[in-house]
Amino acid sequence: MSGNIFSIVGSALNAQDARMAAIASNLANVDSITAPGGVPYRAHEVVFQADPVGTDTMEADAGASDAGSLEINGGPVASGVAIAGTVLSNAPLKTTYDPGSPYADAQGYVTGSNVSQVNQMVDLVGASNSYAASVAVLQQADRVDQQMISSFQV
Amino acid sequence: MEIGFLNFYGGVLGAAQDRASLIANNIANADTPGYKATDVDFTSAMSAIMANPDGTPGSSSPQVVPQYRQGVVGLDGNDVSLDNERVEAAANAGTMGAASTFLHQSTADLVTALRPNPSGN
Repeated sequence: MSGNIFSIVGSALNAQDARMAAIASNLANVDSITAPGGVPYRAHEVVFQADPVGTDTMEADAGASDAGSLEINGGPVASGVAIAGTVLSNAPLKTTYDPGSPYADAQGYVTGSNVSQVNQMVDLVGASNSYAASVAVLQQADRVDQQMISSFQV
Repeated sequence: MEIGFLNFYGGVLGAAQDRASLIANNIANADTPGYKATDVDFTSAMSAIMANPDGTPGSSSPQVVPQYRQGVVGLDGNDVSLDNERVEAAANAGTMGAASTFLHQSTADLVTALRPNPSGN
């Protein structure tokens, strides 16, 4: 009945899960440092894009009478969400003055990551909210399906 | 035999199902840069379906054109409001529940009318 909704919500849960995994990775590496000349850890940010209809096998099989054929201004309405890729944050790297460290450069500075814990926590709350909203849609679709089935029991 | 209410409730459920998909899609894309929330106007969707009663109930899609919702656009060009979408989803689920209940009642009445008289007269 609501197969379309379930696939859309599934894509959303996948996407938010990837976003939370990136946040976990960023928070884990908040105190990572690099030796001079090494590649410092930069915060990963997952970018989403609307998933076009037709790339999904289920949509392609569904035929013309499905909601998958909905159109806006002649173009297909996106169905679900996909991960477009991961970008690295351009925020400035944290440097701390610690001449005694073996990782310090010639001036005595140690290069850390550019992860902001506050930003990551805010992002985590956003991801968690979106995840919860998707789960709520899933539960609601399930409830409607159950109601439909039970109301036609004789 | 023409059973009008089957077409009617089929249309209601079809339009509500389309809306449910669009709402799920809006929530899925709540964090997609540049995404604009879409919705169909239920009244115009219904009248499009009722204007074409020969169509299969539920196949509302060809006549229904989703519109962009006019929301507050954020810095990433996204205008989905999770609160709005959840309210719409709840309202839409109510519509579907009501339609299925009424359809069940109408069908039960029809079945009662078709059933042979139990007293045998």
